[in-house]
Amino acid sequence: MWQEVVSGLDSIAVQFDPARITPDEAIDLFRQQLQQPQAATVTQARPITIPVCYDKAFAPDRDWIAQKMGLSVEALLRWHSGQQFTVTMLGFMPGFAYLQCSEDVTEIGRLPKPRQKVVAGSIGIIGDQSCIYSFSSPGGWPIIGRTPDRLFDPDQDPPALLSANQLVSFQPISRAEFDTIAKEQPE
Amino acid sequence: MTLKVIKPGLQTTLQGAPFSGHRHLGMPAAGAADCLSLALANHLVGKLAGAIAIEITLDDVKFAAEHPTGIAVTGAAAFVRINGKDRPLHQLIHAKSGDEIHVGPADKGCRSYLAVAREIVGRSLLGGQSTYLGAGLGGFQGRALQAGDSVQWIEGSTSPTTSKQTPDGLRPVLSDKHIIRVTAGPEISALTSYSQEILFGQKRKIGLRANRMGLSLQGSPIEQENALQMKSAPVFPGTMQCPPDGEPFLLGPDAQTTGGYPRIAQVVRADRHLIGQLRPGSEIQFVKIGNGRATEIYRQKLSLLTPWLGAINLW
Repeated sequence: MWQEVVSGLDSIAVQFDPARITPDEAIDLFRQQLQQPQAATVTQARPITIPVCYDKAFAPDRDWIAQKMGLSVEALLRWHSGQQFTVTMLGFMPGFAYLQCSEDVTEIGRLPKPRQKVVAGSIGIIGDQSCIYSFSSPGGWPIIGRTPDRLFDPDQDPPALLSANQLVSFQPISRAEFDTIAKEQPE
Repeated sequence: MTLKVIKPGLQTTLQGAPFSGHRHLGMPAAGAADCLSLALANHLVGKLAGAIAIEITLDDVKFAAEHPTGIAVTGAAAFVRINGKDRPLHQLIHAKSGDEIHVGPADKGCRSYLAVAREIVGRSLLGGQSTYLGAGLGGFQGRALQAGDSVQWIEGSTSPTTSKQTPDGLRPVLSDKHIIRVTAGPEISALTSYSQEILFGQKRKIGLRANRMGLSLQGSPIEQENALQMKSAPVFPGTMQCPPDGEPFLLGPDAQTTGGYPRIAQVVRADRHLIGQLRPGSEIQFVKIGNGRATEIYRQKLSLLTPWLGAINLW
């Protein structure tokens, strides 16, 4: 019945065809579904580890982020790769993931002026939230590293690497390891 | 088996039905910005309403037919010419091998559709072939056409011979003044009562920031009671959002899947195809209606279209 089921951070929306059911019928049906226990069970994908290269060349904001958080660069990277994140939602771009960790940290905030181009795989951070850019696009998150993993591949099922509620941690890799993994990715 | 691009225009892409069922993965709808004009063009060349066609934006474009094919042009184009000679819009016309097809610029409105009787080859993904420019997916190499590109079709796919033309009553009237019906958005009450009144009581104008993703709506500032701190929530093509600067914007077919500004209105499905014909400077009067009325209007519109187009959906 639903053409789309999309969750936000604290909301959910369904899209339906009004030629088939009326909005009132849709609301009734959706309420019923919410009351059924199986509809409320969230399938959680297996925890995943994402390789990240934190090299300066991939992390234009790394050094000032460390400074703002009152950490050395090494301590910042140790902190980031030591956290467990939860995918709060996918959005913005196909496969783009919003991640949240449970530790209270200094808010960094977004860049005052978004970049024209953030490269695909870039990892953003604004405090306890991180994100992964699935495609090269304009973007306002300060960037701390880059993963060679492909976040969205239309030939895979499901096409998105991550899904809502999945647990994510980051594994630091060297530039050489990054290049090796990147080479193995399909075009 | 190709149409060669001679003059690509401002933004010419392969577009058909939208992607469906993948918004929870962040995948936008994409697809034709004006699905009604697409369906009308496809019908003239004997194809399904959501088949991929060439979507043309504002500017004129030129193609060279490298093989013979039937074509039809609908939407905002001022004319279609073959080898410099005017041919009718909204009708099946034939291009021979070597013919130059010239689709005129939009005098009013914004987008035209050039449907080709042959089966166009687009990059397939997620059950569709439309172009999503934001991530470079689908269509022709995920991008807008450039001079020298060749739009391929499948060899042997045939061209109809019976000529038809869109009935007068079904040809959309091109205008840069629109009445667009909306239902109230989930965060409408974040606006001051005065702003709620003028949002639906005064005309607004499309600003210069206007593309397939969204269009800015200029006019008297739309103010919020208190700057609402909301968490990112689902948005759709046709959702109107209002940032704190007071200039609302309307989301188009390439709308991202979630957004963090109050969702103040939603264009009803019956009128959503009009979004594809809005251009900078277009005037819009938004009219608020209830959910029940929106459903009625949509069903009425489909029943007007069905005798000509068969069972179709608008999106």
